Amino acid sequence: MKRISGGAGESMRDDTERGGKAIILETAGLTKSFGPIEVLHGIDLTVCTGEIHAVIGENGAGKSTLMRLLAGNLKPSGGDIRIDGQSVSFANPTEAEARGIVLVHQEILLAPDLTVAQNIFLGREINRGLAVNDRVMNAEALKAVGELGADIDPETPVSRLSIAKRQLVQIARVLLTPHRVVIFDEPTASLTPVETDALLKVMRAIRDRGVAVLFISHRLNEVKEIADTVTVLRDGHKVATHAAGELEPSDMARLMVGRDVSKLYPDRKQDDNGEAVLEIEGFTVPGYAKDASFRLRKGEILGFAGLVGAGRTELMEGILGLRPGRGTVRLKGEAVHFNAPIAALKAGIVYLSEDRKGKGLLLSKDLRTNLTLAALDRFTKALMVDRNAEDKALDAAIRDFDIRTGSKELAAGELSGGNQQKLLLAKMMLLDPEIVIIDEPTRGIDIGNKEQIYKFIAELSKAGHSIIVISSEMPELIGLCDRIVVMRSGEIAGEVTGEGMNENEIVVLATGVAGNRHEMAGAR
Amino acid sequence: MKNLVMGATLLAATSLAGVTQAQALTVGVSIPAADHGWTAGIVYHAERVAEKLMEEYDDLNVIVKTSPDPASQANAVQDLAVQGIDALVILPTDPDPLVNAIMQVKMEGTFVTLVDRAPSNNDNSVRDLYVAGNNPALGAVAGEYIAETTPDAKVVVIRGLPIPIDQQRQDGFDAALEGTNVDVMEKQFGNWNRDDAFRVTQDFLTKYPQIDVIWAQDDDMVVGVLQAIQQAGRDDIQYVIGGAGSKDMIKKVMDGDPMIPVDVLYPPAMIGTAMELTVAGMMDQVPVAGSYILDATLVTPENAENYYFPDSPY
Amino acid sequence: MSDSVKSEAGSGFLKNIDLRVMAPFLALALLLVLGTFSNPNFLTVNNLMNVATRSAFIAIIAVGATFVISAGGLDLSVGAMVAFVASLMIMFINAAAIANPYLLLVAAMILAILIGMACGLLNGVITTVGRIEPFIVTLGTMGIYRGLTTWLSQGGAITVRDFEVQQIYRPAYFGTVLGVPVPVIAIIATALIGAFVLYRTRYGRHVIAVGSNEEVARYSGISVRNVRIITYLIQGLCVAVAVLFYVPRLGSTSATTGMLWELQAITAVVVGGTALRGGVGRIWGTICGAFILEIVGNIMLLSNFISEYLIAAIQGAIIIIAMLVQRSLLRRQ
Repeated sequence: MKRISGGAGESMRDDTERGGKAIILETAGLTKSFGPIEVLHGIDLTVCTGEIHAVIGENGAGKSTLMRLLAGNLKPSGGDIRIDGQSVSFANPTEAEARGIVLVHQEILLAPDLTVAQNIFLGREINRGLAVNDRVMNAEALKAVGELGADIDPETPVSRLSIAKRQLVQIARVLLTPHRVVIFDEPTASLTPVETDALLKVMRAIRDRGVAVLFISHRLNEVKEIADTVTVLRDGHKVATHAAGELEPSDMARLMVGRDVSKLYPDRKQDDNGEAVLEIEGFTVPGYAKDASFRLRKGEILGFAGLVGAGRTELMEGILGLRPGRGTVRLKGEAVHFNAPIAALKAGIVYLSEDRKGKGLLLSKDLRTNLTLAALDRFTKALMVDRNAEDKALDAAIRDFDIRTGSKELAAGELSGGNQQKLLLAKMMLLDPEIVIIDEPTRGIDIGNKEQIYKFIAELSKAGHSIIVISSEMPELIGLCDRIVVMRSGEIAGEVTGEGMNENEIVVLATGVAGNRHEMAGAR
Repeated sequence: MKNLVMGATLLAATSLAGVTQAQALTVGVSIPAADHGWTAGIVYHAERVAEKLMEEYDDLNVIVKTSPDPASQANAVQDLAVQGIDALVILPTDPDPLVNAIMQVKMEGTFVTLVDRAPSNNDNSVRDLYVAGNNPALGAVAGEYIAETTPDAKVVVIRGLPIPIDQQRQDGFDAALEGTNVDVMEKQFGNWNRDDAFRVTQDFLTKYPQIDVIWAQDDDMVVGVLQAIQQAGRDDIQYVIGGAGSKDMIKKVMDGDPMIPVDVLYPPAMIGTAMELTVAGMMDQVPVAGSYILDATLVTPENAENYYFPDSPY
Repeated sequence: MSDSVKSEAGSGFLKNIDLRVMAPFLALALLLVLGTFSNPNFLTVNNLMNVATRSAFIAIIAVGATFVISAGGLDLSVGAMVAFVASLMIMFINAAAIANPYLLLVAAMILAILIGMACGLLNGVITTVGRIEPFIVTLGTMGIYRGLTTWLSQGGAITVRDFEVQQIYRPAYFGTVLGVPVPVIAIIATALIGAFVLYRTRYGRHVIAVGSNEEVARYSGISVRNVRIITYLIQGLCVAVAVLFYVPRLGSTSATTGMLWELQAITAVVVGGTALRGGVGRIWGTICGAFILEIVGNIMLLSNFISEYLIAAIQGAIIIIAMLVQRSLLRRQ
């Protein structure tokens, strides 16, 4: 492997060198402070026309802050933003748009009950007399969406579209503004591989029109695939800027974290001899999963792979009584049926939802309340909740799971994603479960915390807990699990173990098509 | 009792089907739903008089409809008109919004009797007969009684809701006291509600060390006033005057309760007066068109028995 | 972000919590000062006791509403429920099935409690099992309870007929214990029990969890449905307790009994710092909110400079100003 060193001083060649492309946007010594805390330290960035420029970094590295400065959502505390060599300052996003800088937000910001065309023209409706001219707007919207290679009826309400199509509508809306620089903030975070591919194609098309594309992503393979230039941020500093061809994903990860992270997954000794603790036979969750059967052994880490929408989450929720389902569930040989979540918890099975903020934690409540919520009866003495015991449990959880928090009185929502996941893990482990089901354990979590969470999962299995990991990141499943069950369209398509645990095998099973590797790879 | 009603209805029905069918008359009565004591009295008396009239006249049919608000009352009036009525007796929930519905009925040649609440254009384009209590007199009678009985009294007033009827009563009261020595210290709204009257009275008692008379304008509110006085243990208040004529207060007057020496009548039974007059005009062919303003009679222990309806809900 | 972390960890934390909880009490204190200037009789034991006693109904009902609202629900039917429960209670007393008046009263009180809880249970079951918005359900049951009351009374009043029973029962509202009016003791007792349940017990924690995020509660193995149903049951119980002190006051109900009390209860809860969207519940704030509502009216009446026509407008304005002051205090932190 080629070693590429980090550090601001070693940034790549002179800006004008980039294939003769013109510099359109640059920053010099750009800083941003919130109160007394400086979060961006003197960023020098150069963006050229006709390039896709990826900005990568861990959560909190300052990527989003930088983009918001460029798009006029925030005002810089120091330094310079230049367009065509000319110093500018934006009071608001509209002023940035007037100079041709537009931002595609990560979240979908559309009114679900309005149609595609109404959303695209929201706030800039075309009028005929006093009334809006729907005919013209529908035609324009159809054209705008068509330019992105999509075929969406402009009169469809947005609520009826898939996430990917909504995103295209959002992009079409942004591109309606005359633009020279388009900023994409993690556009692929919630897309399936096929959808991701389509979006990357759109981004290339935009670049090929001579527009500069700025692109934030966590998925390093994706960055490798599409970017021309990569800038790495760490702790508010620019670490490096390189041509994408010079960097492998592992180099990017190292630059982001600032140390070697090639050893992301813990070593585990596999043991195939544990007895089956959970056996599922012919389990059906109407509309999501059909006739699924699998078994989980003691001390095992069992992976669940599949495309988004394959029904993995729904199958688990059905088994645990979180949604209606039917079929045989045997816990250590004994047939059980969970008709409410509490029944599964009492039987020693916990589920950590992929939707940490929506289903896992009470974001506005403090850590203590969150930690003990599921196991509150253990903290109840003579009708009362024992706050001292809760405090002790919190201290233990912070120590055991290395939850980094400024204060024990913080609200859960104020923790970083990784620490939220650790808190959720601690919360569920208070129930002392035999079986732990973790859905997307590292989604939206930066690489340092990822490593820790893998370590916890491995330790749990070592301690005799049986674990099911649902994940869309194949390397994660391969690196962590003993066996991987692959689901396709609600059915179990197969299982891979040992040598068979490679991306190719999994993709074949997940898509039902051999040699489909490329699409699947885009998912990361 | 029930059998009797059934009998009467049956009788009316047979006679309708029989010889007199050609001359059978139908009277529609549209009144507010029973949403407080006084309207409950209206419903009671309307039904009582309807029964009585149908018993007296073989070929008479009286339909009583109650409605909670002006919109549904307008519908009720239309429904009645569709059924075919010869006369309409109506006590509007709110007169002005209902004027058009009433005029429409009248234009079809129906005899219209308007009760109690008058629209701003209360003339013969709207109604043939107008029957009402005397709102200014209700205030005036109370005022005169106070001026006569306790000429130097310190008085506090609990009004109803800020609507025209209330203002008319207040104006009558003020006019009656003009030039006398009676001192009206303060007026506050009690919303014709017992609990609010209790609250207002408590605060009056806190505020004024000496109160001789409380005029509460409405018998429902007097219930709250009396409780507040009793709780405070104050003996400076000589008496309380209400109004309308609820059975509880009339009873107190009858029994000679010193706190309730008199009551001023604004009787819900006026709906009965209106129905009787309407039917008389139509069946007996006596002239009744015009305005009938009932006196705001001062109920005293001597005459109280005449106004006592123990079966009425009010 | 990071500086707020710092301040919360340090001395700022105490200030933060205190101010949020104290805001309604500060508003109450301000009103007391205002009242003192408006009339010399305002700051007398007698007047303040009157006001506190009068606020008992709303305060006790609002304790129940605090539970319902904290769990993300709403109950518009409480005013009508007061009238309904009180009417049935009086009718039971009038039926006089028990000769001994004391036993009769005890039976009537138990009956009222049971009816109140049944009414609350009905609200809870329809909203949760039927999965209908509580706004609509309780608007419906409001009509039902109110309509049944009007029907029972034929639109008039229902009054305790037996003078002896009424005299025995009267001290429940008008009596005092060591100089403190019985209803004031009832407020304090209700609030103490409510605060214990909401702040100290597992159930209370579950109420807050359900109100702040139903899904998180469900995934944590909490029966969202049962937690919600019980909040409505508590609301019904609180209504019944309020009725126990309402009936002895006037000894009668009418079609206007409890009219708009639901809005007053909700206002008391919100003025007291509980969030309408759920997830935050403040029992003592609610009690304070009920006092504030009653005191505003009292000050208006005792002061000499406000026209009787303007009272409603000024009451509305004072409540809005009180909320604005609260919010701006919070924002400044």
